[in-house]
Amino acid sequence: MLDERARSRPPVWRRVLRLPLPLIIGGALVGSFLFIALLSYVWTPHDPLKLVVADRLLPPGSDRYVFGTDKFGRDVLSQLMAGARNSLYVSLLSTFVAIVVGALLGLLTAGAGPFWRNVLSRLIDVGVALPGILIALVLATSTGPGNQAAIVAITFWFIPIAARVTIGPARQILALDYVEAAYAYGRTKWYVLLHHVTPNIAPLLIVLGSVMFAAAILIEAALAFLGIGAQPPTASWGRLLQESQPLLEAAPTLMFFPGVAIVLTVLGFNLLGDGLRTILDPQQASRSGLI
Amino acid sequence: MARVITRSVLSLVLAAFVGSMIVFGLLRSIGGNVAHVILGQYATPGALEALQEELGLNAPWYVQYFSWLGGVFTGDLGTSYSARFDIFDEILRRLGPTTLLAFGSLLISIPAALALGTYSAIQVKKLRGGVIDVASQIGIAIPAFWAGLIMVLVFGIRLGWFPTGGYISPFEDLVEAVKGLVLPTLALSLGITSVLTRYVRSAMLDVMGEDFIRTAMAKGRTRRGAARVHGVRNASVSLVTVGTLQLGALMAGTVVIENVFVIPGIGRLLVTSVLGREVIVVQSLILVILLMILVMNFLMDIAYVLIDPRIRDSQGGKAVA
Repeated sequence: MLDERARSRPPVWRRVLRLPLPLIIGGALVGSFLFIALLSYVWTPHDPLKLVVADRLLPPGSDRYVFGTDKFGRDVLSQLMAGARNSLYVSLLSTFVAIVVGALLGLLTAGAGPFWRNVLSRLIDVGVALPGILIALVLATSTGPGNQAAIVAITFWFIPIAARVTIGPARQILALDYVEAAYAYGRTKWYVLLHHVTPNIAPLLIVLGSVMFAAAILIEAALAFLGIGAQPPTASWGRLLQESQPLLEAAPTLMFFPGVAIVLTVLGFNLLGDGLRTILDPQQASRSGLI
Repeated sequence: MARVITRSVLSLVLAAFVGSMIVFGLLRSIGGNVAHVILGQYATPGALEALQEELGLNAPWYVQYFSWLGGVFTGDLGTSYSARFDIFDEILRRLGPTTLLAFGSLLISIPAALALGTYSAIQVKKLRGGVIDVASQIGIAIPAFWAGLIMVLVFGIRLGWFPTGGYISPFEDLVEAVKGLVLPTLALSLGITSVLTRYVRSAMLDVMGEDFIRTAMAKGRTRRGAARVHGVRNASVSLVTVGTLQLGALMAGTVVIENVFVIPGIGRLLVTSVLGREVIVVQSLILVILLMILVMNFLMDIAYVLIDPRIRDSQGGKAVA
């Protein structure tokens, strides 16, 4: 019987090709980003921080330096790989915490009585309306610049958004018959929220996570570019771009590579989010042929 | 109409008030002692005491808050600690470039998004529509400061068409001022235009499925004509809604772009003040940016009413409960 099922299913590559195109491209880009970021923990072509004065400002394609070197003779490729690591670290931490805290806040709001639901909802609305970059700058003034300031800022920026996105769908599910049945069976409110509502909004949170990850990478790069995020000698794509600006005329490739890395990664996470939305949305799912 | 404007003004004032409280509260609660933040961890107790006295930090928080708020109206926001400039005067001096940059890119982004989004929705099954769709997806992924750096390299350094940075007031030399603003405004508009284009596109696709479009086509309009006459107006309503949500991103972009192009605006002062831990300056600058967002929001509210007669009639004509 197992044999029969295996034979009737098309081969894996064919099923992958039947997925929506954004999902394939996005998945490939995100996969490469994760691979490079993780690889940089164990291997980079050179030590990303090692200064080799004799090899300063070599163009791409030079002997031993595929993407060239910067003004201190550091290998650009190695720095890009270490920069991917920093983007991954900052974005993963901030997005993860923001979605967990935000979703819990959203569930709490959706499950509260009318009075508290209104109060919490309004507070969350204020949080969504506040321009996140300003909060980030306020935080950085007090705590001083660094990766930590970036992580805290992005997290606080995203929490109200995650909560806002959760409230509506959670309330829809709370109005369904099986929730009432669960209450009748004697389940508590938190049991219902965690065992019945959460699995149902999980696809939404996954899509949100992918899109937020993309935004977090852009914010991390911008903060590092302004000197508010990652500090030297930490390699970060934003900081590489900041360092490249004075050398724009002499060594334009220093500006080129980190930007391309940012664009491809952000594009990847956005496409992945789009693709996941298509296959996780039950109405469109039947067309994708996956479920 | 007058009623709508009064309501928008009132909500603007209320939002500004709440915003100022949040800014004040955040800076005081997260940062701890303001004098400590400014002087750093190696400050002597005597110096701390003197600065606390100078900044009026020994007074209760509500006295500090209202004297700051009063200063916004009387033009006295204090002096910067290390650079010793008058904060109010400095903000006034730097308001011009920032306003030009922010409003300039809004004026470019909205019509561009409307045109591109509509076009790609009409051409949805053709290659040209698809190209716009892919381009807008890439445009969202390009950081504004990288777009700025590329433009500086190509149009500033290589081709020499535009200056690579700096700012000239339009009152001094109009031609040079416009030339200087072209690259920063375009770099800033790229991301916002891309985001808005995608919204216009999906709004247009929704609208084109509506009954009134079919009716218009049954009455002899072409698909393109129906889209132009009936579709764009309807899609504009959702563009305005999404546009207000993008204002925060617009101001964030302004801060970054001012730093790329060395434009002496609010954003550049903000970043130097943040790095110099000038809490008192940061507090007022953030309020100014918040006010700019609220004013743009207000203008969009008005635009909303002008575009959508349903709102105009329901709120302007008959009394609203």
